Amino acid sequence: MADYLPTRLRGVDMTELPPERGGGPTVRRMLVGAHLRRLRTDRGLTREQAAAAIRASGWKIHRLENGQVGFKERDVVDLLALYGVGDPREVAAFLVLAREANAPGWWHHFGDLLPPWFRAYVDLESAASLIRTYEGQFVPGLLQTEGYVRAVVGGALGVAEAERRVALRLGRQGVLGRAGAPRLWAVVDEAALRRPVGGRAVMRGQLARLVEACGWPGVTLQVLPLAVGAHPAMVGAFSVLRFADQALPDVVYVEHLTNAAYLDRREEVEQYLDVMEQLCAGAEPPDKTVEFLDKLLSEL
Amino acid sequence: MSSQGVAGDWATRVNTSVPNPARIYDFLLGGKDNYPADREVAEQLLALAPVARAVVHDNRAFLRRAVRFLTQEAGIRQFIDLGSGLPTQGNVHEVAQAVAPDARVVYVDNDAMVVTHSRALLAGDNTLAVEADLRAPDLIVGNLEVRELVDFDQPIALLLVAILHFIPDEDDPLGIVRRFRDALPSGSYLALSHGTRDVPVRPDMSAEAMAEMGAKVERLYQQTTAWIVTRTRGQVERFFDGFDLVDPGLVEIQRWRPDDRHTMLPGGFYGGIGRKR
Repeated sequence: MADYLPTRLRGVDMTELPPERGGGPTVRRMLVGAHLRRLRTDRGLTREQAAAAIRASGWKIHRLENGQVGFKERDVVDLLALYGVGDPREVAAFLVLAREANAPGWWHHFGDLLPPWFRAYVDLESAASLIRTYEGQFVPGLLQTEGYVRAVVGGALGVAEAERRVALRLGRQGVLGRAGAPRLWAVVDEAALRRPVGGRAVMRGQLARLVEACGWPGVTLQVLPLAVGAHPAMVGAFSVLRFADQALPDVVYVEHLTNAAYLDRREEVEQYLDVMEQLCAGAEPPDKTVEFLDKLLSEL
Repeated sequence: MSSQGVAGDWATRVNTSVPNPARIYDFLLGGKDNYPADREVAEQLLALAPVARAVVHDNRAFLRRAVRFLTQEAGIRQFIDLGSGLPTQGNVHEVAQAVAPDARVVYVDNDAMVVTHSRALLAGDNTLAVEADLRAPDLIVGNLEVRELVDFDQPIALLLVAILHFIPDEDDPLGIVRRFRDALPSGSYLALSHGTRDVPVRPDMSAEAMAEMGAKVERLYQQTTAWIVTRTRGQVERFFDGFDLVDPGLVEIQRWRPDDRHTMLPGGFYGGIGRKR
């Protein structure tokens, strides 16, 4: 999953969809807002303290962080200063995003890695109330063991970069443990569970972790058996993030080899949701998952 | 996404292109698990009866008060929620377990998407989601998983909240309720709400206008996977044969033990709770 996102905004291949009427939250606003929230909470500041810096109310900060209102450049600059973001390049890049955040329908193709300050998916993920995900090739990122992550990340990358990615991926998993954590509802293809990523020992550890995760209160795991044959999501993995706030749209996240896409247009999101419903209804029910994993373990 | 050839018959279990009462209800409650076909019917419903949104919220509030009464005052620890619908805020086990952490709840629905969501989001140590049709009571009370969670020698609360108006007379709703009743031990309860066109939902509305609105709503739901049939007070009361209604009897849901004085104008649904003799 996306531990990395765009760094460079110039030269990206970006398809603008016609703005929908009425504005409202867009993925870009939500991403910028979610990142502002993270910066603020990392500093241990309340909404009211942040509000004072931009001569506004705590409610305004709440709405900004939810992506419900547009961003004023001056407000963003003042907030970043308050949050200790001083690097001019970082501020400039953030401003580009904030400025572009007012047009709905985001479909970016990014060829770059995520700069450390913009862990967009991670921010969105931690702001979600429900994460629904389908994985055809991997164990879902939030449930991977360290050994599994290493096996996935390793290879082409340099040691330092690989370590950074492993740390990021494992850090992401903290989201499941905290209070008010999002619920994870994952459908995993049997193929992903049979592929011995990292070898037999690593995979055994990974399957054991999944058995354990089935007992965690906020986790639902369903297996899509190979026996179902062709299915509606063979084209690949995707996630649907849902937010508690009624005004926030669901966001679909799709990752490809060299880029990632965020979809927030209702018509598109609903096509993905429709497929997710079919997968969940066609997969083994959650209370059969442990049995399924035990069987795989006994065969491994 | 999926081409026809790949999707095959996948869409037959969960078909989002046909309006579905559970998803229409989800939309009216402000949920996000609904699709254009559902919203189209919901918008038509709201155009016909703008009060519909308030009535479904009132119905959820009735359910919460009913479950709280059953847990707190009637001492019930076992619930069977028939036609439970999509998970939302204040689900039965959450309300019941807030009072009695050991309360057990079976959610039953015949809709594949509802059951899939219920299994994923509601099921746990003391809860169970079952895919079954309430028109086959024997299959539900005889279900082994249900029997594992629910002790039929101890009082049980049967919840039939906003569901029997989807059962037409030819499916014998009275006979269905009777068979459930006969499976319950004495001291069990029935909590029920039901759509009606008896009571005008606006003060300026005549009985004739209300009856006409009710007829239009019934026609509207003929596009969906479950038709609606409103019933009169007398017809709804008969579901309580063999039960003693607790105070205040069968009334508009908004009048059933309201927990504040600021309730909406009563109407739309009757609600009541009865104790099995």
